[in-house]
Amino acid sequence: MCCVPLRGIIRTGTPMKPARRELSNQQFAMMLALPVILFLVATMAYPMGYAMWLSTQEIGFFGGFSSKYIGFTNYVNVLYSAEFWRSLVITIRFVFLSVLFSMLIGLGLALLMHRIKRGRAFLGTLIILPWSVSLYGAGVMWQYLSRGQSGVASAVINRLLGRSAEDSVEYSLISSAHIVDLLALGNAWNLAPLVAFFILANLSTIPVRLYDLARIDKLSAWQRFTCVTLPPLQYTLFVFTSITLILSMKLLDFIYVMSAGGPGDASATLTYRLFDLAFRRSNYGLSAAMSFYLLALIVGSTLALYFFWGRRLESEE
Amino acid sequence: MTATRRPSILLILAVALAVIWTLLPIYWMLKTAFISPSDAVGFPAPLWPTNPHFAAIHNIFGFGYTDPDGREFLPAGQAPQIINGLKNSLIVALLVTVITLLIIIPLSYAFARFEFRGKTALLMTILFSVAVPPVSTLIPFYILFVQLGLTGTKLGLVLINLTITVPFVTWMLIGYFRNLPAVEKLARLDGFTRFGTLVYIIVPLAKSGIAVAAVVAFLFSWNEFVFATQLVNGTSAATLPTAVSGFLFLQPQPGLLSASLWISVIPAALVAFFLQRHIAEMNLVDPVK
Repeated sequence: MCCVPLRGIIRTGTPMKPARRELSNQQFAMMLALPVILFLVATMAYPMGYAMWLSTQEIGFFGGFSSKYIGFTNYVNVLYSAEFWRSLVITIRFVFLSVLFSMLIGLGLALLMHRIKRGRAFLGTLIILPWSVSLYGAGVMWQYLSRGQSGVASAVINRLLGRSAEDSVEYSLISSAHIVDLLALGNAWNLAPLVAFFILANLSTIPVRLYDLARIDKLSAWQRFTCVTLPPLQYTLFVFTSITLILSMKLLDFIYVMSAGGPGDASATLTYRLFDLAFRRSNYGLSAAMSFYLLALIVGSTLALYFFWGRRLESEE
Repeated sequence: MTATRRPSILLILAVALAVIWTLLPIYWMLKTAFISPSDAVGFPAPLWPTNPHFAAIHNIFGFGYTDPDGREFLPAGQAPQIINGLKNSLIVALLVTVITLLIIIPLSYAFARFEFRGKTALLMTILFSVAVPPVSTLIPFYILFVQLGLTGTKLGLVLINLTITVPFVTWMLIGYFRNLPAVEKLARLDGFTRFGTLVYIIVPLAKSGIAVAAVVAFLFSWNEFVFATQLVNGTSAATLPTAVSGFLFLQPQPGLLSASLWISVIPAALVAFFLQRHIAEMNLVDPVK
């Protein structure tokens, strides 16, 4: 342990020539990283490879498991399936609203916590709770909250109107027209705290002096927000737009528990459709092919976000 | 000073709104545990438990309960599953946390502090595995686990959870390690080997970041539902979320459902205070720059 020769560092200031028992950077980094990378590659490459194989097969279950190579037929069939296009539209709507709500609510919560001096830890503890609650728990909670029978709308409206238990009317927040919006709101409930805390950390790095200058210039509250507060937040906003985009697009737990794709298939996002195809209808091949379209959508939209927004921010820096 | 002393009405309103937004869904479900089973299914649902009632909390743990009116409530039939699920969830989550930490500390340290060939490509692999939807690896894993006999085992679940926690938490920690002071050369002057530097100097320095990583890994594993429901549901290795889902899909009992959700929410609430203080130190924004 103590046999490191000192002259190497003192003389050159750069990492010395590897002495005996001393590893090079490359070796040391590899020693630390390699086992994990092998594990990750195995746990990524195997399922992805298998899914790729599945997507080119027709899987049969009659008379035991059988598979037949059918080339790209599954990929073509996905494109001809009306369900896929319907789910794609639902996914885009769900993800767009999820990201929008998460970012706006996250920004709002961050600005609020930034303003609060006393009791911020207490408020922060409450605000981060939805993120630490499980997605299935959140699904149960939101379902219970929005259904007509057990929901908050029925309880509050009937009470406000002073109706007795007998002539109370059911008000459900779940409808096939707006279930996707409601799911997005619930998803944002879960994601916004994470966004909020990172924006908050960023907010506290903005020099107070800038706000003093803004006051001298007699900026309105809105101008102060758009000209002083927002610009330094841009990169954080970009990163979290990407994160919420990815997390929303791959979300299944919450949708599965809260609406199970329903009513009908009004909230069957691509993730739910994949799940349904594979585990309810045992159509493994088609489901696997569809999962690659979803993966392409996730990677594609993240890259697009980077090229149209993130890269511009990086070049400005 | 600059700001007014007394908080403005607007600010108070905003705080109230934030608290209601945050707590309403949690409150609305969890209050049901303290409502008598007959009122819990009543319509419309009561706004709060007017007569606090503790049958559900007793029944879920397998105890009978006699309320002040002399009504008897038998232990829930699913109580053994819930208790077993709680045990399994704890074991799996703790194992996942420990293994995740052992794996990711060296890994993110290597990424944060060393330049080596293939670094960018490896980092991209890690980020990519964060982006892969679990639902598309579910079938391959399911088939693999059937072949290996890992369905219905805690070991299988631990392995699956690691594939989720490792990439995400590594990404969190890389940025954190990069922000630590560059102490490596000083440590070498003091005679530490590279490995000794990591164990005796970096790890103690990075205590709070590692703690956040541990908490996040625990929460991810504690909350995991999709894989658990396919791989271990209905077996002796079933975790709490899958055991709870029995109340949801098979036999609607709001009181018991609510009581079992209490069990799953409590650990999350316990770490919330810690998380809100330290989570933003993790530098998710630009871990690699």
